[in-house]
Amino acid sequence: MDIFQSIRKDAFGALEEASDFETVHKIEAEYIGKSGRLTKILKSLKEMSLAERKEMGSTANALKKEIEEKIKLKKEEFGERGGSNHRDADWIDITAPGKKISRGHIHPISRVLKEVTSIFESMGFEVVEGPEVETEHYNFDALNIPKEHPARDLWDTFWIKPLKNGLLLRTHTSPNQIRYMEKHQPPLRIIVPGQVFRYEASDSSHGIQFYQLEGLMVDKTTSVANFKALIEQFFKKLFKENIQMRIRPGYFPFVEPGFEVDIKDRSDKWLEVIGAGMIHPQILKNVKLDPSQWQGFAFGMGLDRITMMKYKIDDIRLFHSGDLRFIRQF
Amino acid sequence: MLFSYNWLQSFFDKKLPKPEKLAEVLTSHSFETKVLKEVGLPSGGKDIVLDIDVLPNRAHDCFSHLGIAREISVVCNIPLKIQPQQKLAIEKRKAEEFLKLDVQESDFCRRYIAGIMLGIKVGPSPSWMQERLIVLGQKPINNIVDSANYVMFELGQPLHAFDMDKLNPAKIVVRRAKEGEQIITLDNKEYKLDKSMLVIADSSDPIAIAGIKGGKKKEIDAKTKNIIIESANFEPINIRKTSQKLGLRTGASVGFENEISPALAADAIERVMALISETAGGKIVSEKIDFYPKKFKPSRISFGFKDIASLLGVKIPEKKALSILNRLRLEPKKEKGEITVMCPSERMDLARKEDVIEEIARIYGYDKIPAEIPEGVLMPVRRNDNYFYGNVIRDILVGAGFSEVYNYSFAKIGQIEIENPIAMDKKYLRMDLWNGLRMNAAQNLKYFDEIKIFEIGKIFRKAHERIIEKNKLAGVVVYKDNKKNTDVFFEIKGVIDALLSGLGISDFWFDNSPEPPINRVEIKIGNDGIGFIMSPNTFEIDLEELIRLATEEIEYRPVSKYPAMIRDIAVLVPPSTKVINVLDVIENTAGKLLIDTDLFDIYKGDELGANRKNLAFHLIFQSSEKTLSDKEVNVLIDKIIKAIEGNSDWEVRK
Repeated sequence: MDIFQSIRKDAFGALEEASDFETVHKIEAEYIGKSGRLTKILKSLKEMSLAERKEMGSTANALKKEIEEKIKLKKEEFGERGGSNHRDADWIDITAPGKKISRGHIHPISRVLKEVTSIFESMGFEVVEGPEVETEHYNFDALNIPKEHPARDLWDTFWIKPLKNGLLLRTHTSPNQIRYMEKHQPPLRIIVPGQVFRYEASDSSHGIQFYQLEGLMVDKTTSVANFKALIEQFFKKLFKENIQMRIRPGYFPFVEPGFEVDIKDRSDKWLEVIGAGMIHPQILKNVKLDPSQWQGFAFGMGLDRITMMKYKIDDIRLFHSGDLRFIRQF
Repeated sequence: MLFSYNWLQSFFDKKLPKPEKLAEVLTSHSFETKVLKEVGLPSGGKDIVLDIDVLPNRAHDCFSHLGIAREISVVCNIPLKIQPQQKLAIEKRKAEEFLKLDVQESDFCRRYIAGIMLGIKVGPSPSWMQERLIVLGQKPINNIVDSANYVMFELGQPLHAFDMDKLNPAKIVVRRAKEGEQIITLDNKEYKLDKSMLVIADSSDPIAIAGIKGGKKKEIDAKTKNIIIESANFEPINIRKTSQKLGLRTGASVGFENEISPALAADAIERVMALISETAGGKIVSEKIDFYPKKFKPSRISFGFKDIASLLGVKIPEKKALSILNRLRLEPKKEKGEITVMCPSERMDLARKEDVIEEIARIYGYDKIPAEIPEGVLMPVRRNDNYFYGNVIRDILVGAGFSEVYNYSFAKIGQIEIENPIAMDKKYLRMDLWNGLRMNAAQNLKYFDEIKIFEIGKIFRKAHERIIEKNKLAGVVVYKDNKKNTDVFFEIKGVIDALLSGLGISDFWFDNSPEPPINRVEIKIGNDGIGFIMSPNTFEIDLEELIRLATEEIEYRPVSKYPAMIRDIAVLVPPSTKVINVLDVIENTAGKLLIDTDLFDIYKGDELGANRKNLAFHLIFQSSEKTLSDKEVNVLIDKIIKAIEGNSDWEVRK
């Protein structure tokens, strides 16, 4: 029987040469697998005459047994996964997905805040907090923003009833500059993260409630050049790449000079992320610090904007949506 | 504010940089500037509209094309063109011969110049003037009104013209409005005034709301021949208040609100009369009436070169600094390392040395200031516990499968009401977190089978008429499959266990709330409540209290060298009996060899009878001194059984 001899020769030849488990496995499939060469012959037996079937059948079955034996030996030779029964029980398909362990997701702003805070902490800034319901005094007057001054238009405000109490939802974290400097002597380095509120129509880039981070540094010689170095370091660490940044003139009544810091986003557009400046001498006087002795800078950054840029989020309102389809991506 | 590129160009002989380049330079040194659009002009040609975000402190001088042209001159270092003198038709007379002026409120009206022109001819303004106004979105009206408008956009001084022949007698009174007095403005709207408001009146009625809008009665019309031109200066706060009260904001009111130098009024009236003379003919009465009681004095500021270096952190060469100040027309004088500058009248923003140093800095360029790491000793940073533990809590809860959400601080109900709410469901400040979380959960069930969320945030309540702001932590667990929701209370309890133990707090327990609602379970440490579970699926904890109790140092007990012995004990008790009560008896009886007790099963079943449940505990005994014998432990177990059965409702299953 030529055909059986040729199968035997090929199969044994291949098995002799096989040097690993995978190859043996392939050979098994090629000869005695579902559509293996020998299996096909066995399948075709039922179309033959009884005599033929008897003769061919016994030869084929004998050969199959012989090949099986040889394969088993070969498999054992290749160690840990050897032996057909053994193999089925212990074999692991390492490409199958892992079992899901349910872990929650931290809000993207909390995540960025944590990173931002640790960068500033590494540069000696302490985290300080302040109230969300603020007085008109701290939110405006003490910051050189008197009543009836057009500069107040920069901050649309939610007021608390009754109006006569002069309470409001803070429109920025800057009141904490005053609160902190009233109680502490320089040198000072603080950051104040927190929610702030603006009474305005919301859209994809303006929210009625968002996260700000105030920074303050006061010392004998703190200068614009120092601010620039600090902010450059900060962006470098936060974005882990060289981010293009520019400083341009800005105006806030509580700083002089005042400036804005823009960074370039991925679509090459300048994005305003920080308002800053050198603390206005009148502010230092307001908190009983001598402007001829002390100077420093203050800045406020929009954490929402920075988070949006970091994760390419296109709608600021998602942060307060409570939508897990959004949160679960972080 | 919108500006015309062609108009700005007209101030210079030299060609300006291309609009994009100009916008870039202005943005870096003056104001954020965008190239808005190109406009085709009726006469052919084109103009470019620039949108310049003039900073509020520069509204004094830069709400005008001349103001921006001056900025361009400084930042691009191009000289302004000298404007040619026009020859004008003059009538050598005094305005006082025609008009009587009576300013009664010199605090609100700092200057009032009245100029008179005779024999003008009203008609359309010339096309060059119309085009400039159209580019800025203004509608041309006639040569008189357009000339006044033109000067406002050119110099920043609001002006107004009255038909002199409609004033009979020719008298102008600047006074406060009478309570309830009315005026119909140029646009045919009626306003009711009160006595806080300043008006321009004739001998009887208001003819304009001062500094805001003119009245219909004395308006210029096609037949007008003789006119009075007002170039005045009004006090900003009063203008702002009036404008807000009337809900009437005009170009003039915005200008005055931002305070304009009173010096400008004189330049503006000269300019507008020249323009009217050019476009409407007529003669200018040579002597104007000028009410100007307190003359404006330009401020003088002195500082040292070392002040510049100290504030900016860079030594700008003296020559460079002086050249910048010269370009700004600040007339710097140098004397022994000190500079003294004289501020031009329109630069009302310059009051102290820092203001002038800012001018040097921005013109020099912030991009040229080097970055320099601050000197000084770095002190170790003190930890902010609220912030630190907030993050520890986040980590624990995220590990337990919870996701963090942020909700608005506003709610439909609460104790603190907002004066100007932005929406009906945001009328109050929220007084808890859990209600918001339950809403989030309901929303999210549309998309997920299992919701586990938490929030850390502030809530607001009133106590003794004061607003109390508190940091809270709340969480909720909900499953879509209702079968899973039956066990959710214990899941919440487990989460709180994990959270509190994670914070190093071990002696907490749960108590039925003494107050309604019935499904509220207090979380207590000692006798103090630190939060509650709103059964079955929500919890809320006072964060400050939690943090106060959290101790980072977990007390370490040496691991015993001797083996522990574990015994199980099952107790049948009435359904209302609390686990804690049984635990108390066990722990109080066993003494210190009992190092741990775990409840591992609560079972209710028919075979126990309706009035009983089975509590099963592991009791773990261990000594740090020796291996305990069976006998010793048996003695303790017997003691415990006896103590338990001291309560006649309880039975130990043997």
